[in-house]
Amino acid sequence: MNILESANPAKRYGMVVDVNRCVGCQTCTIACKHANDTMPGVQWRSVIDIEQGSYPDVERFFLVTGCQHCAEPPCVPVCPSGATYQRDDGLVAMDYDLCIGCGYCAVACPYDARTLAHEMKFYYGEATVQERHVAHKERVGVAQKCTFCIDRVDEAHARGLTPGVDLDVTPACAGSCIAQAIKFGDFADPKSEVSQLVAERDNFQVNDFLKTDPQIKYLYEVPDSIPGAAAIAPTDDEQRDPNNPLIGKLQPFWDYRAAMNFTMGGTGSGLLTVAALLAAAGFVPQDMVIAAAPVGGIVIAIGLFFVFLEIGRKLRALNVMLRPNTSWMTREVYVVIVLYPLLALVWWQPSTGAMFAMAIAAASFLYCQARIIHAARGIPAWRAPLIPALICVSGLSEGSGLALLISGFLGLSIPPALVAVAAVTSVGILVLWLLYLATAQRERLGLLTRDVLKAITPVYTGVMLLSLVALGYGFATASAIAMALAAAGFVACGVLWKFTVITRASHQQGFVLPHMPQRGAGNRAAPHRPQGLPAYRNANAA
Amino acid sequence: MAAGEKGYRAQSTRVKKPVYCYQCVAGPDLLRVEEEDGIAVRVESNYAANGTHPGGGRVCVKAYGLIQKTYNPNRVPQPMKRTNPLKGREHDPGFVPISWDEALDIVASKLRNIREKGLLDESGYPRIAASFGGGGTPTQYMGTFPAFLAALGKVDLGFGAGQGVKCYHSEHLYGEFWHRAFTVSADIPYCNFVISCGNNTEASGGSVGVWREADARVRGLRRIQVEPHMSVTGALSGEWVPIRPKTDAAFLYALIHHILHNRDWSNVCDIPYLKQSTNSPYLVGPNGYFMRDAKSGEPLIWDLADSRAKPFSADIGDAALSGDFVVSGIEQGPDDAVWRHDNVRVTTSFEKLRAHVAKFTPEWAQEQTDIGADKIKAIADEYLAHACIGQTIEIEGQTLPFRPVAVMLGKSVNNGWGGYQTCWARTVLAVLVGALEVPGGVLGTAVKLVRPAKSRVGSVIPGPDGFMQFPFNETTKTGWDPNPHIRNAYKTLVPIAANSPWSPALGPAHLPWLFQKEQPDHWPKATMPDIWFCYRTNPAISSWNAPQVAERVAEFPFTVAFAYTLDETNYMADILLPEATDLESLQLIRIGSTKFLQQFWKHEGWAVRQPVGETRIDCKDMTEIATELAARSGVLREYNQSINRGAAGISLVSNTYNYGLAEDEKHDVNTIWDRVAQAASHETSDGEEIHGIDWFKEKGFMLKPYPQLDWYLYPAIKKQGLRFELPYQERIMRHGAQLGNRLHEAGINWWNRQLEEYEPMPGYLSFPDIWIDHIKEVGQKPEDFPLWALTTRSMQYSWGANVGLPLIREVASNVRGHKGVMVHKDTAKKLGIADGDPIVLRSPTGISRGYAVVRAGMRPDTVVIIGQFDHWITPLAKDFQMPSLNSLTALSLSLTDATGSGSDITRVRLEKDTEPRRARA
Repeated sequence: MNILESANPAKRYGMVVDVNRCVGCQTCTIACKHANDTMPGVQWRSVIDIEQGSYPDVERFFLVTGCQHCAEPPCVPVCPSGATYQRDDGLVAMDYDLCIGCGYCAVACPYDARTLAHEMKFYYGEATVQERHVAHKERVGVAQKCTFCIDRVDEAHARGLTPGVDLDVTPACAGSCIAQAIKFGDFADPKSEVSQLVAERDNFQVNDFLKTDPQIKYLYEVPDSIPGAAAIAPTDDEQRDPNNPLIGKLQPFWDYRAAMNFTMGGTGSGLLTVAALLAAAGFVPQDMVIAAAPVGGIVIAIGLFFVFLEIGRKLRALNVMLRPNTSWMTREVYVVIVLYPLLALVWWQPSTGAMFAMAIAAASFLYCQARIIHAARGIPAWRAPLIPALICVSGLSEGSGLALLISGFLGLSIPPALVAVAAVTSVGILVLWLLYLATAQRERLGLLTRDVLKAITPVYTGVMLLSLVALGYGFATASAIAMALAAAGFVACGVLWKFTVITRASHQQGFVLPHMPQRGAGNRAAPHRPQGLPAYRNANAA
Repeated sequence: MAAGEKGYRAQSTRVKKPVYCYQCVAGPDLLRVEEEDGIAVRVESNYAANGTHPGGGRVCVKAYGLIQKTYNPNRVPQPMKRTNPLKGREHDPGFVPISWDEALDIVASKLRNIREKGLLDESGYPRIAASFGGGGTPTQYMGTFPAFLAALGKVDLGFGAGQGVKCYHSEHLYGEFWHRAFTVSADIPYCNFVISCGNNTEASGGSVGVWREADARVRGLRRIQVEPHMSVTGALSGEWVPIRPKTDAAFLYALIHHILHNRDWSNVCDIPYLKQSTNSPYLVGPNGYFMRDAKSGEPLIWDLADSRAKPFSADIGDAALSGDFVVSGIEQGPDDAVWRHDNVRVTTSFEKLRAHVAKFTPEWAQEQTDIGADKIKAIADEYLAHACIGQTIEIEGQTLPFRPVAVMLGKSVNNGWGGYQTCWARTVLAVLVGALEVPGGVLGTAVKLVRPAKSRVGSVIPGPDGFMQFPFNETTKTGWDPNPHIRNAYKTLVPIAANSPWSPALGPAHLPWLFQKEQPDHWPKATMPDIWFCYRTNPAISSWNAPQVAERVAEFPFTVAFAYTLDETNYMADILLPEATDLESLQLIRIGSTKFLQQFWKHEGWAVRQPVGETRIDCKDMTEIATELAARSGVLREYNQSINRGAAGISLVSNTYNYGLAEDEKHDVNTIWDRVAQAASHETSDGEEIHGIDWFKEKGFMLKPYPQLDWYLYPAIKKQGLRFELPYQERIMRHGAQLGNRLHEAGINWWNRQLEEYEPMPGYLSFPDIWIDHIKEVGQKPEDFPLWALTTRSMQYSWGANVGLPLIREVASNVRGHKGVMVHKDTAKKLGIADGDPIVLRSPTGISRGYAVVRAGMRPDTVVIIGQFDHWITPLAKDFQMPSLNSLTALSLSLTDATGSGSDITRVRLEKDTEPRRARA
């Protein structure tokens, strides 16, 4: 644990951003790049330029984005290594030396605040003398993000200065801001400027419905001049506009390698669970589980190998085990440690107890996978409430499909219980999928995401229904070919939806603003002020 | 310690050096540059100036590009010599490295040769010419080079690099004439209501502008932004009102109409101000000149108190603003014409104004501008409601009128055709409510034409007819100079351009390029300079019709370019001299008082710029180059004398001190600036605190208080019993008539259209039609060019020669429009263009390629191109494939107004580009 975690327990650092001050000039962006020596393309602080509406009813505004240092940061509990942690003063910090670069924090962040740079880059290709001097090799292959200029905050603490007041020890973005739009300070101190600003003026938090309690609070109205207004929901066109910075982009962190893990891991653990339970209960011959154990083990291992390929710092892979108290990724690894000996035991000596134990371990693995993806709160399609059920039931469906294939390969007679499990789980996953789709809008899956999900649904539903028909036909006629087709269909459906959800429907949260300043043209303009301002208001005298 | 921050904290030597940033005209701002182990590594604002600098001591995004600017691997690493005699875009110059000695000797020998031949050529033009970019900002980086130019004697500084079309040209000239406002600013800390016609202050006002506007906005200032596309400033305004391009004058005229005709002007205007501080009560004779007292020649005012006309300087009880009066007197027309009138019926300037705007109704303006008449009336009513007529405010113990309303104008609104109209209308709107040069209202920032240069208030000197003195160029028979002394002929063609060191840049600075191709009648032959210096400028990119200017540059016989990287202008040069850039050289400049664009300080003094880190290429400080060139070309004594007289910013010798340099010696850079530092600190402290340059290097700046009262001209005007020369423009009319006479006497008729602009109250033309007519003039069909193309400011790129900096490109890309041409989404859809598609823009005279940026916040009949790009040789920038309006605009007399300026606007055709392209950077 970092010594500074308990450095300032009485503090709660945060920022107040005034949307009516910010001009989107990017001085904060570039000052941050200087202060933190970030690589080309890496912006811990960034200001997005948003335009909404249709001419002439248009408005445009600028939003300072970056790590929100949430009071309830979704990135912290998911981190399997403990590299991402929260200090008592509220700062969500990074230890680059611990980070394995798995990207889990990045997909857990609903604010698109994290970056993974997998190689050193320089602005002109070759490093200039200055770039060589300030290069941070420790940040390659690991997650990085805004630290609220943690070194300045600590320096302030050490020197008895106040960040936000003493500019030398204020985060670079706030200190540099030429509009004084970004204010930094201590929300725990009611006298601080940030506390007073949020006490006196209406403010909002971005994506507040996620209950992360972000510590950047946005002021959006000016009394008598620019009223605040409830945000106007973006039109379908705006939601589909790839240039609309409010709309989440496809996450770049977890690609087909992650999808391989969720597919192989789901199928493998589903196979082990179904085969072991049915064998232990005597519904299928022991030969089945003896064959399933190595197959399941290998399938899961392949999935895990793909994950290994995805992480940025492979030599530190074992750091994945450092956060069992909160991270489902860590827990998955511990389950793997238990699962493989049991798997060997079952293969070697398939006792009922061993089979039950292996079934529990395999089911736990499947459950861990469900929780891993569900905890990635930055991706609406993943954090949806039905995702755990989808992963678990789909795993069992895929697993029973694979079990049917093994059964056929071994030349066993078709086990009715296995058919029943396959039928029930496959019907179940189909129903869950349709429910997932039906609740998608309610659960704030974006239109781009929903478009992708909808696009695969006819194929998904069709294959699943045909597989169920084939299953029934195969069972009724003892047709090995029909059973094989059904089994393959169940596995294929799992592959289809997981690859889709992980790699193509994984749009980030984007930025949902409950309020906006009322300004712009046409019906978005601030109201006229026919009475004027009769006297000089000395709020900020020259 | 959090990982990642451990890297640089362990460094051995770390120091922060104070410097200034004056890359743009909105400066100077102050920063500190962190130096570690001899390397400049980071930039931050100089927080030591937090309480004194009007922008809180902050620097804007551009200053953070300086590190990369210094270490840009594409810099010209040492002096170079051209080996290919053929010049042009298609000819590789074949630059080869040479030593500084060789380079300086080549240049000096040319200069010696010229001095022997005579400084003027057969046309009477200087053989030596020099061009600088950036609205005077190069001076803040060129050390003592001005002293070297002064030592050379006659130098043509009139080859423009975009001046006129890229600046607030009409505002510069008329603004300074009317209220010492080379640029105009609202008194933002006190202002409550601003109508801004395209003034993109949030992008072009610098850190100070952004700082003050943000403070004012949250205080309650309401701004209505009137412009064809929603700029950054439009975004930050309470309301954005889309207007048809180049019809701003119609909108402003309609505001005046509403105030003077739809409202009871005698209740809503500032009557005492109009009567006592403007020429509104001056009587106007039948020929349009002031009715004057036959004896004294003074303009007459009708005194309602005793119902008779009196000279303006008489004791006036109650000046009449309106009504007809029968009076006798004289009119003084052009060229000594005098008309005597006995008992003629005349009226006042103010009544003339009312009559002038009678036809400019909001309903009429609606047709011109596409802004609803009701909206125009509502805006005018709001303007009046915010004017606080009758209220006062105390500033530094003095009670002044408080009028917190302003109209601001942007580039392309306040220059070119229509610029006179908008500037006049804006200033008239201010005087109607008494808001000119008072707290809360419309202020000037700095003077560049009148003298003394360093004091706006000090320049309030009585002139004729109760107005301020203004140094018009002579148009009388005896005073007019028929032989232009430089190629842009500002003294000959533009009386209001005056004749200060800034005037060469404020004349028709594009004419030398134009005349080089099209020789006008009855005019000296448009010769090329024997030697042309260019510094911090790239006219082959920044001029109107830049490709044509590039061709002209290629024709110059000998060009010496101070070269940062290769660029489109120095590609045609004969000698490249890599100068030490912003963080590599030493200079001391004046800061504080009032400066454009919004630098209203309560302090004034001096700030330093100094080398940070070790220089990595073979470059030289401009001061050293100037000294070496002076010595080698035989003008060392004159050069040192010039420095002693004040060419480095301050006289080194005065009545109270003597820090002068020995005149016949070469002095090193540090010595020269050490003397300047001593003189500067002497002046700042009244001799109490004398500091050398090392003190400035450590402390960064030295200040003394500057009175806020000097932000406002009104007290000085009142004190001297003067009036603002508004709304009636008798002097302008007279100069126009006289200039016409002179030109016609010389057989010159190509300036006739410009002569029509000299009206006592500018009439309205359908300004957009000027550009539509130009299409026909060049033999094309207007219907083939259905869209307007405009440009808009990039805060990130403008001025700083930072187009080659990938860091700037990265952060600028966060701002809409930095990836191509902004097109309205309906227009794009109609043309089958999607966001990001390659497009081609064709104007009647040019072509430019880029990519589409589809937007909602702009008029469907307008496309907007940000910044100035279309580079073809500048490293990095040449791969942006960003278009430029400068490749589309025409260099043309018919698009040149009477002040010699044009507007950044043209008609275009937009198409999806089907030609294959190379990869984009």
